[in-house]
Amino acid sequence: MNYALIALGITLIFAIMGVLNFAHGQMYVLGGFVTYYVYGVFGLNYFVALAASAVTVACVGLVFERFLFRRVLRITTREESTMLLAAGTALLLDSLSLALFGEKQRGVAPVVAGVYEVFGAFVPASRALIFVLAGGLVSALLLFIQYTRPGRALRAIAQDKETAALQGVDIDRYSALGFALGAALAGLAGGLLVTVFAVNAGAGTPISIKAFIMIMIGGAGVVSGAILGAFVLGFSEALGYFFIPGSTTYLMILVGLIVFLIFRPQGIMGKPWG
Amino acid sequence: MRLRVAAALVGLALYLVVVPFVFRESRYLLGILTTASVLSLISLGVWLTFAIGRINIGQAAFALVGGYTTAILSVKLGVSFWLCLPASGLAAALVGAVIGWPILRLKGVYFAMITLTLSEAARLAALNGGTITQGATGILNIPLPGEVTFAGVVLVPAFRALNVHLAFYYLAAILLVLGLFTVTRIASCRLGWIFRSLRQDEALAASIGVNVAKYRVLAFALGCFFAGIAGAFFTVSQQSIYPSSFGVPDSVYFMLYCFLGGLSYVSGPVVGAFVLFLGFELLHGLREYQMLTYAAIMITMMLWLPNGLLSLRLPARPGMKADA
Amino acid sequence: MIVMEVRDLTKRFGGLVAVDHVTFEANEGEVLSIIGPNGAGKSTLFKLITSFLPRTAGRVIFQGEEITGLSAHLVARKGVVRTFQETTIFKEMSALENVVIAHHLRGRATSVGLFLNTRVARQDEASFRDSADEILDYLGLSRVKHEEARHLPHGHLRALGIAIAMACDPKVLLLDEPFSGMNPEETDRMVEMVRGIRDRGVTILLVEHDMRAVMRLSDRIIVLNFGRKIADGTPREIQNDEAVIEAYIGREDDELGI
Repeated sequence: MNYALIALGITLIFAIMGVLNFAHGQMYVLGGFVTYYVYGVFGLNYFVALAASAVTVACVGLVFERFLFRRVLRITTREESTMLLAAGTALLLDSLSLALFGEKQRGVAPVVAGVYEVFGAFVPASRALIFVLAGGLVSALLLFIQYTRPGRALRAIAQDKETAALQGVDIDRYSALGFALGAALAGLAGGLLVTVFAVNAGAGTPISIKAFIMIMIGGAGVVSGAILGAFVLGFSEALGYFFIPGSTTYLMILVGLIVFLIFRPQGIMGKPWG
Repeated sequence: MRLRVAAALVGLALYLVVVPFVFRESRYLLGILTTASVLSLISLGVWLTFAIGRINIGQAAFALVGGYTTAILSVKLGVSFWLCLPASGLAAALVGAVIGWPILRLKGVYFAMITLTLSEAARLAALNGGTITQGATGILNIPLPGEVTFAGVVLVPAFRALNVHLAFYYLAAILLVLGLFTVTRIASCRLGWIFRSLRQDEALAASIGVNVAKYRVLAFALGCFFAGIAGAFFTVSQQSIYPSSFGVPDSVYFMLYCFLGGLSYVSGPVVGAFVLFLGFELLHGLREYQMLTYAAIMITMMLWLPNGLLSLRLPARPGMKADA
Repeated sequence: MIVMEVRDLTKRFGGLVAVDHVTFEANEGEVLSIIGPNGAGKSTLFKLITSFLPRTAGRVIFQGEEITGLSAHLVARKGVVRTFQETTIFKEMSALENVVIAHHLRGRATSVGLFLNTRVARQDEASFRDSADEILDYLGLSRVKHEEARHLPHGHLRALGIAIAMACDPKVLLLDEPFSGMNPEETDRMVEMVRGIRDRGVTILLVEHDMRAVMRLSDRIIVLNFGRKIADGTPREIQNDEAVIEAYIGREDDELGI
């Protein structure tokens, strides 16, 4: 479920801006750190910490969109430019995290204690909470996109930027919104998971890679694809680790993905490309 | 034209004669110049894929293939480095050709993502390669290059008998010069124009009879060859190789070197690699802010110099460009 | 003499049949036009013949040889060359460079030979240049030959597209809507150009909407509607063909709401 948050975030950014957010993992890490400080160090309410994470990362996203991506999108002739800029932002955030937070891993104690029993398996309450919260956020996001005006604007841009512009949608503003929202989702995911896994400054890249895998599976730029991809990955991981210990699991997932992509490059739900 | 040739000769003289002589005792300086040279070589390989219109974030995978080929051949089978070197290049090119054939049908973001996956998959493959790759421990104690004799005459002395850093510097320099020459030659002959046609419009190229699939794979495999050679070099200069020796971040850097140097120019990746890598080293004094400043500078460059460093001084010459 | 046969060529996209068992023959040296209301499957037919789209069924026979299913560049190599509907040229090359590179099929040097700049490679290059100059001259593009292709005006771009196709030395040339977007003068010039190419011995298949041009140029016309061939004959025959009139008028009625 947490994966779904990450996948949705990066899909949103891709759908709106056409940019593959290399920095997504780093935004996750940033969110985790913010929650760590606000909740773990300053002792504020967990939900406040989460909100802080979301806001902080969203602001970062806004800055990126407004000052970096918007400019490059305007002046470049090559399609590679935005992707490379995204890679650059990832490096920036990575090094920023390292500089600000140091190399140590940070973790936060689980917000709730106890264990539930679900269908004969033991589920720690903290994980259940994460599941519920993440699920809630995902649902909220889906509702937002589907039923609210800004949500519809975002969808319009995702489908056809030019037409949306012609219909009076303020592309700039909604691009910023899309990016900020996508970033916030990553930050929230980080804030949620820091209660279970520790974050360290270098964790950004592997998470970005996972995000890419998810949207590759499900189809880049398609919301349903993101969720599907998240579930497929989560499921494959769980299944894989159960049978094959160690990182061989991931190798097989990757090889399987490559073969899958050769036959169906747009992922499960993706739009076929010309 | 004369000016360019003169400039190139001066550059070569500096590179091959002056610098190594002046700095022959400076281990550090020789070391970073050597690394920059080899990074340039790898980036040249990435440039070739840019030339056919693909964004390649998988070069690290092929460097790893090359590196491990050399490591395994020299440690387990005692093969001389001088044979391992071309073997590594060929191994990487072969893997590139096999994988490239199906994936080159993809374009844009999709191709980029699948190559990214390759980088990561290669690392995992090395990690889980059992006794062949020795997993996380990596392969160590890789011997230095030995001597090359022909008809009783020592052409290349064994590296351990020499100023090792100087020897590696020269090896890297020669490889880079050869590589740059090769790519320049390709770019200016009709092959280069064929690649350019692929980049600009594959369907049109097919309609005029260009075997699109074949030339795509050719360019890609050639790029992988460079990566393989470079991988072999690093393996032997560091006398070790690990699954993490070349990874996703490295692939991204190679791409960035090409881009920031100037994709329109054959020497773009070389300029990019040298300027950026040396620039990074220069920021050494900033300690924990080194990386941060570096990233900031890179982003600034992307904002102000979207066509790369070389666009500042040279109007791109037809026949030398990736995008004419 | 029949130079190309198309037999039962069919293309299905999911539930939609774009080209439905189309069968016809092209005679050597003629101008054969393919017309039909919008969406009749004309361009799709071209793409099928030249293997830019995989066919669902049917065969294409060229000069007695089966070329069905060959990959696109091999079809071009056999001598069947198409142009593209939107003006497709290599944007970042000059007009001259566009035509030179289009001589690819005539190259005798191998890839290695190209790299080493052998005598054969150099001879190739020289002959390509001469040929390109001649083609550009013939199509009236000499003055702009060093201009970057994307800066050329529309009419020139069309001519360039044809120049590129001609560089391949085709035996059959498939022109996909070469007259679209042209004013009467440009159309006249293009008609002359096409006639000239035909006079050089090239069989021409033409997909076009501009009826005047079609009637002036064609030796024979084939009419498609909803992917099926509904008529096949000389311009005069087609003009009076019931089914054809029905197809066009019928469509118009729909649009008018009658």
